Amino acid sequence: MRYRRPGLDIASHAVLILALLAFCLPVWLAFTAATHDQASLYTSTAPLWFGDQGLGNFRSVLSEPVARLGTDVTRLLLNSTVMALGIACGKIIIAILAAYAIVFFRFPLRRLCFWLIFITLMLPVEVRIMPTYKIAADLNLLNSYAGLILPLIASATATFLFRQFYLTVPPELLEAARVDGAGPWRFLKDILLPLSKTNIAALFVIMFLYGWNQYLWPLLITTESDYMTIVVSLKRLLSSADNLVPWQAVMATALLAMLPPVAVIVLMQRYFVKGLVDAEK
Amino acid sequence: MATLSLDALRKTYPNGFTALHGIDLAIDDGELIVVVGPSGCGKSTLLRMLAGLESISDGELAIDGRRVNDLEPAERDIAMVFQNYALYPHMSVADNMGYALKNRGVPKAERRRKVEETARLIGLEDLLDRRPRQLSGGQRQRVAMGRAIVREPKVFLFDEPLSNLDAKLRVQMRIEIRRLQKRLGVTAVYVTHDQVEAMTLADRLVVMNGGHIEQVGTPMHLYERPASRFVAGFIGSPAMNFLDARRADGDLALPCGTRIATSHEVHNDAVCLGIRPEHLSRVSEADDTTLTTRVELVEPLGADTLAHVRLDGQEEPLVARLDGVQPVAEGDTLYLRPDASRLHLFDLDTGRRLDDKDIHSCPSSPSSRLA
Repeated sequence: MRYRRPGLDIASHAVLILALLAFCLPVWLAFTAATHDQASLYTSTAPLWFGDQGLGNFRSVLSEPVARLGTDVTRLLLNSTVMALGIACGKIIIAILAAYAIVFFRFPLRRLCFWLIFITLMLPVEVRIMPTYKIAADLNLLNSYAGLILPLIASATATFLFRQFYLTVPPELLEAARVDGAGPWRFLKDILLPLSKTNIAALFVIMFLYGWNQYLWPLLITTESDYMTIVVSLKRLLSSADNLVPWQAVMATALLAMLPPVAVIVLMQRYFVKGLVDAEK
Repeated sequence: MATLSLDALRKTYPNGFTALHGIDLAIDDGELIVVVGPSGCGKSTLLRMLAGLESISDGELAIDGRRVNDLEPAERDIAMVFQNYALYPHMSVADNMGYALKNRGVPKAERRRKVEETARLIGLEDLLDRRPRQLSGGQRQRVAMGRAIVREPKVFLFDEPLSNLDAKLRVQMRIEIRRLQKRLGVTAVYVTHDQVEAMTLADRLVVMNGGHIEQVGTPMHLYERPASRFVAGFIGSPAMNFLDARRADGDLALPCGTRIATSHEVHNDAVCLGIRPEHLSRVSEADDTTLTTRVELVEPLGADTLAHVRLDGQEEPLVARLDGVQPVAEGDTLYLRPDASRLHLFDLDTGRRLDDKDIHSCPSSPSSRLA
């Protein structure tokens, strides 16, 4: 809808700019704080302008072991990336295969399988975290990438979304493919996957963010700093009993922690839109 | 190039519903068979069984004498054109057409050559790089045809391929399908519910009803000698008129008092009399061989005029096709004389044709037409 009223234009812009400020100010403060040294942060109120450190704080957290963490932020970023990618890719692959089986194949207990998957939607990670931890510990998965990824790799939500999408694929498409001599794998690879591009892109973004933002599970399963994720490390940097909190390092780390999710969103958005324009008829 | 033989094909679904009660049919090489019937008569099920998309519960299906009951669709060497075309939306026209060849392991260069050759044949050469959504309905239809042609199958199967097109395009594509099928000489089975499409396309027509075949024959044979009341009502547009009649001194007497001389050798006392709208002619004066009717609705079509008229004592209105533009209006009285040589008599109970052995009531018998 579009109204030609100058007053409305000004009002809506004012609201938008206010909201923008509200969102951007914390990021701006984090950015400026990350360019000061620790002493100046403790002697004045939150600085609104850059300090004298330039990007030195970023350089030091990335290259030198950070106090209380025992490792540098590069390693933490790597751990988080491995975990988020593993979870996102794993979830998508498993969900695609599970939904494919449920929608396109007739086998005994098909409905039961679907409902069992569906019911797990109602069980959040926190509810089953103790038994999951026990299993992970018994399988020697503590302090490993497998331990970070595997327990979170199956997704009822993604399975359900793919199922809903597959149900909208005209059955004639499958029949045409059968007449054209495409077996089940070919149909999945040549027809279904290209048609699901948009869904895959969207789910990848969502699942990557989900994996990246995990806190409770990595906190439980990792005790060594070599496998710590960046989200867990932020909390650890803040929890100081005796020393002063190194705010410049905290801010630099926090900003670095934001970069990969932002990059994923920006990159995938292009595929996302392209998929929307391309694949649909 | 293939013959098809259907021997007592049956389809029973797991829930016990029987869709087809034993279909027998032999299809010659290069023949275009049109299967026609009302919704739910089993015609699509039959086609899908031929394609291998639906399992065969009982009976035998053979292509070129080889039993194919248990073969996958791709192994039967058939091609199918779907009602909604079922083009792969993410592939270009060329990829759509070449997909079956690709799955068969045909090398890329040869695939390209065959696709281009087929595209030339059906006028698609400028559209090969387009996506299906960039095409009009008629062009999509053409791609679906091309996808079937490019593989050089033994049998074409068409599942109501023209029902999504507008009327003008439908006529045009109908002619094109006919032309291509004859040119390629491929055996084809075509399912439709449109009886005009059926009449114009078919070498032989199969009329189905309730999972049975009612009649098989050339379109003109079915038009002139329908084997049952169902076929008579289904083939021909507008549909045949049916009247109750009794035998009286060798003639047929209608409840309204009209007597029609007939040469039919009929032994039933009461029969169902069928008269096609085009075999009712307008006369200026009433006598005892005419029907006195009241006009309820006039549909002027230009070349001829359809008059929907009511006959006393008759529940269903009759339709008469009158030549040219006729000066008739709603409420007029119209005298109609049935052409006594073109009557159809059906058994009241079974609906079967009564004069099966009688040929002289049928001026142009199908055999003479075929010769």
